[in-house]
Amino acid sequence: MMKFVFPFLFALIAAPALAPLQAQPVDGGHARVELISERETAIPGETVWFGLSFEMDDEWHIYWKNAGDAGIPPRAYWDDQTTMDAEAIGEIDWPLPELLPVVEGEIMDYGYSGEIVLPFPVQIPESATGPVRLGGEIDYLICKDICIPESVDLAVTLDVGPQQVPDRENGARIADALGDVPVQFSGETSLTADGESWILSAAGGELVGVSGETRFFPDGHEIVHATPQPVKFGEQGVAIELTPVRAGMPEALTGLIRVAVDGAKPVAVRISASEGDLLPGTSGLGSSGGNGAAIGGGAGGLPTSPSNGSGGINFFLLISSALLGGLILNLMPCVLPVLSIKAIGMVQVAASGERSELRKHGLWYTAGVLISFAVTGLVFIALRAAGQFVSLGFQLQYPAVVAALALIMVVIGLWLLGVVNIGTSVQNVGSGLAGRQGSAGAFFTGVLAAVVGAPCVGPFVVGALGAVLNEPWPVVMAVFLMLGLGLAMPFLVLSYVPGLHKSLPKPGLWMERLKQAFAFPMFLTAAWLITVLGNHPAAGATAFGAVILAFGVWLVSVAGGRLRSGIVAVGAALVLVGIVWPVASGLQEAPATSGAAASYAAAYEPEPWSPARVEELIGEERGIFVDFTASWCATCQVNKRTTLKREDVLQAMEDANVTFLVADFTRPNDEISDELKRRGSPGVPMYLLYAPGKPEPEILPTLLNPGMLKRKLEAF
Amino acid sequence: MTALTRRNLGLASGMAAAVALSAGAMIAFSASAAPAAEPGQPAPDFTGMTATGEQVSLSDFAGKTVILEWTNDGCPFVQKHYADPPQNMQGLQDRAGEDDIVWLQVISSAPGTQGHVDGNRAIEINDGRHASPTHVILDPSGDIGRLYEAKTTPHMFVIEPDSDIAYAGAIDSIPSSRVSDIETAENYVTAALDALEAGETVQTSWAAPYGCSVKYE
Repeated sequence: MMKFVFPFLFALIAAPALAPLQAQPVDGGHARVELISERETAIPGETVWFGLSFEMDDEWHIYWKNAGDAGIPPRAYWDDQTTMDAEAIGEIDWPLPELLPVVEGEIMDYGYSGEIVLPFPVQIPESATGPVRLGGEIDYLICKDICIPESVDLAVTLDVGPQQVPDRENGARIADALGDVPVQFSGETSLTADGESWILSAAGGELVGVSGETRFFPDGHEIVHATPQPVKFGEQGVAIELTPVRAGMPEALTGLIRVAVDGAKPVAVRISASEGDLLPGTSGLGSSGGNGAAIGGGAGGLPTSPSNGSGGINFFLLISSALLGGLILNLMPCVLPVLSIKAIGMVQVAASGERSELRKHGLWYTAGVLISFAVTGLVFIALRAAGQFVSLGFQLQYPAVVAALALIMVVIGLWLLGVVNIGTSVQNVGSGLAGRQGSAGAFFTGVLAAVVGAPCVGPFVVGALGAVLNEPWPVVMAVFLMLGLGLAMPFLVLSYVPGLHKSLPKPGLWMERLKQAFAFPMFLTAAWLITVLGNHPAAGATAFGAVILAFGVWLVSVAGGRLRSGIVAVGAALVLVGIVWPVASGLQEAPATSGAAASYAAAYEPEPWSPARVEELIGEERGIFVDFTASWCATCQVNKRTTLKREDVLQAMEDANVTFLVADFTRPNDEISDELKRRGSPGVPMYLLYAPGKPEPEILPTLLNPGMLKRKLEAF
Repeated sequence: MTALTRRNLGLASGMAAAVALSAGAMIAFSASAAPAAEPGQPAPDFTGMTATGEQVSLSDFAGKTVILEWTNDGCPFVQKHYADPPQNMQGLQDRAGEDDIVWLQVISSAPGTQGHVDGNRAIEINDGRHASPTHVILDPSGDIGRLYEAKTTPHMFVIEPDSDIAYAGAIDSIPSSRVSDIETAENYVTAALDALEAGETVQTSWAAPYGCSVKYE
């Protein structure tokens, strides 16, 4: 009897182990995990789809193959009893993930919540004759606000036979999951640099005519995960604005583009984008701020502002900082002389007791300022629309412009000194400033304030202006106008304050002296502008032209008596020469080398940069340091003083056999602006360091320090 | 004088055009924005309160190599690197101590979140796991974490003596919570320290950090 009992008991215990193991969900803690397959019986040699199924607790999530800022995707460690070789087990075909914002604007992850099946293909061995088993430990990180690495032991066994037997239920689940895997995009993509952002444009194929909540999920970490992605829609596709982590485009940016569709599955495609031009047809039909619901566009063609939600707040900040900057401008040394004129004018009008005049002057002054800033804005927009690489300080690249500005400063200085009398005159005390004369004077003073204020703009404004480089033109105009308003505001406000005329000081000689004193900052500005010209012929012409101009103006202003018309004629002619000569010479071609290159230590002669020379040096396996600079760029000058002109740094360059190339952007140069754009730099300075023989350089920070540079050179 | 007054408007409009061009002068004085905390950039200075109640700044340690370690003792990834054996993080801290390298452990968990501790508890935790950072900096407001854009725990920064960031990112090359992966992974912090010691360039200056997200407010 016992002979039968023992085997019987054994069979009873062993039976479950011998039967084909069906997948049973295992509770890992916060998720029930299962290993499933589309087959119950497979044919030897065929590829069968398996799946990792997760049923997660509410509000918990697991991660996509790129978890984003923090997290790791699930991973399987197949055990020794697995029949298939590691090579036979394929990678997971990841279904479209969700966005998992962890800290708004700072930490963003990508993953799955609720229920998900992650499918992967496995090849059944050709030689299989009996049941095949796939099993092992599945590690997965599951998080809510804290993260728990859970691990489950799973296995699934399939029968092998001459005929397939499907597992209908699990097969359907796997098929659904495969349906959620983004398809390979059949259209075209392109990645375009746009100031500090990248625009990913995708046209054709599955994205024709789509619009809805759009997101790009990168495979890697080239872009910042947490920033919003403003998107534009067009007839052919979409254009998504991405924030890169660092300048320098990758060979190919890969990932998924997902566009939500109301009441249906989202459109999701897998793309690979390389550098290129913005694709046509990817804007004009509407846009979305990148944080929330899309705004539908109107019928065809009208460009819409990309700002809503967080974009809207940015706009508000932009114009408030512009306003603030304009206000601060009133305190800057450049503007002070002009403001003194304005103040003097107000004093006089106040003395005459006519309050309405005061208000009128306030308005005319404001008009002068606003119009000047508006013109500046228009020129900026026009240049940008013309495709000019509008970098910061572009205006000072044109010698004719610099010459003209210097001359203007000289004329203003002369006026302040009293050599020339135009507009509101101090001597006109009480002579009736009512009427066109006074108003025109106020307008003129406003324009003047805007002109001289330009060189002295402070930190707030620089921030605002840097930001407008890429905004659409209404935003740019708004910023410029707010700047003007800020500048004009104090006087505008003062001119409306009742009883002001009682509290202003009485006119007197002190006003004259003050006005004269302010002439000298004007002359200093003129001198600086001349130095900006470097060794361009316009520099000399401007210096001499300024003197000639001054003489001519003086002649005109003192002309009197019988020879009056003659003297005025001579004076006017001199004025003409004094203006035309420098400006004309400014329009000439710049010499081959200009001031910037010449400002280096004679001991180490830097060469001019050219892409051909770079190629050559790379071929020669020599290190290269390229300095993208301009004489009007203050940061460049700072870096020269602290680092690039130092003996020890230049010595280190020589010791490392590194060639020093200078790309001088003082004048417009297409090659240089192309290179700046390519590297993602908004302007100069830019410093590139090529290791010997390496084709791709390291982009150094814009603020250099000698220790850092020397250390890098020593490593060569 | 009256004649010249009429010319005002002509001059004014001419000047208005000039304004358009002179505006460039102001823009010319812009310097680029301060760079973020990235390898190759200067490490941003900060001041923080330590677990022992002192105030320390990064600039206090000029001339020394400094390591920043973002931590959260409840995070499984931090626990992986403090697991005994192999005491991965403690070993690095020991090496730092021997080589006169300053180790600053930063806790940026907001109050009420995982990892947030007071000074005494922080010291207790370190004692318990035989950790030996030079200082533990309590950053419950998350200001220092945001300054460095610390995303995970652990998130490591190696700062050279002249205050540039030599390495930022993951502690090693295998993102997992398995202790057994430590020995097969490449430790990027060790590699950076070795390179700095030998006066060579750090090969890997950045690797995607892995871990639990920093528990900012």
